[in-house]
Amino acid sequence: MPETAATTTDATLRSGPGRLLVAVYAVFALAATARGTYQLLTRFDEAPLAYGLSVFAGALYLVAAVGLARAGRTSRMVALVCVCVEMAGVLVVGALTLFWSAGFPDDTVWSNFGSGYLFVPLVLPVLGLWWVLEVHRGDRRETAPTS
Amino acid sequence: MGGRVVLGSGGGVVDWLTMTIQMVSLGVAVWCLVSFFQDRPMLVPHLIGTGVLWLLVLGQVGAAVAAMVGGDRPDELPMLISYLATIALLPPACAVWGFMERSKWGPAVIAFACFVLPVLLVRIEQLWSPVA
Repeated sequence: MPETAATTTDATLRSGPGRLLVAVYAVFALAATARGTYQLLTRFDEAPLAYGLSVFAGALYLVAAVGLARAGRTSRMVALVCVCVEMAGVLVVGALTLFWSAGFPDDTVWSNFGSGYLFVPLVLPVLGLWWVLEVHRGDRRETAPTS
Repeated sequence: MGGRVVLGSGGGVVDWLTMTIQMVSLGVAVWCLVSFFQDRPMLVPHLIGTGVLWLLVLGQVGAAVAAMVGGDRPDELPMLISYLATIALLPPACAVWGFMERSKWGPAVIAFACFVLPVLLVRIEQLWSPVA
């Protein structure tokens, strides 16, 4: 019964902690995209790199939120990739803002490892990664003995 | 900018209402966290708490809109409007989330939203009257 197995994992990725993750990701998607877009439109020449990065981060959060919420096998992969890119992004940009602050005249979500957002951007990819892998493991436990 | 009878530095937002919302919001957040750790789903009292919070937020948004219509506008108007829309939508959105997730993770979502709300209010005050 591959179909029923698929539907149960669909439900598990979405429910419980996953639901909270989707909510948090949605809020961050909104915050980063709205702020970045507005700044790009009004003050492009001040800090194009920082504003562009905000929009990129926002888009990434949005895709991750949708991936977590839809939770098919493909969406799970999409969410996994997004979460990994986020992790890399917050670490690289966090380090860059510490050592090369001239490149970022204005803040992004990832500046100083997300300190402007209570370090949630730093914790979020870890939680996302944990949750996707957790569901993936549960999925394999379920399907391995029967098939 | 003179001639305004607003106490404090909140511009068009009502200061005491901001304080009240922040207190109520943090209260609801802690309460929902307790429910979360007690393994309870979202129940009617949580909904009522969120509803009260929503009414307060709508009052604040109304006051801000009235001030803007009256001509008191901050520099970053589009930003402010998007923040106001966000705080107006946040309580009902987390309540819907609580309905969808009938487990202890429902209150967890409400708690998260209620921790974000005071931060958004602080940002709104900053937008309205940037520190000179």
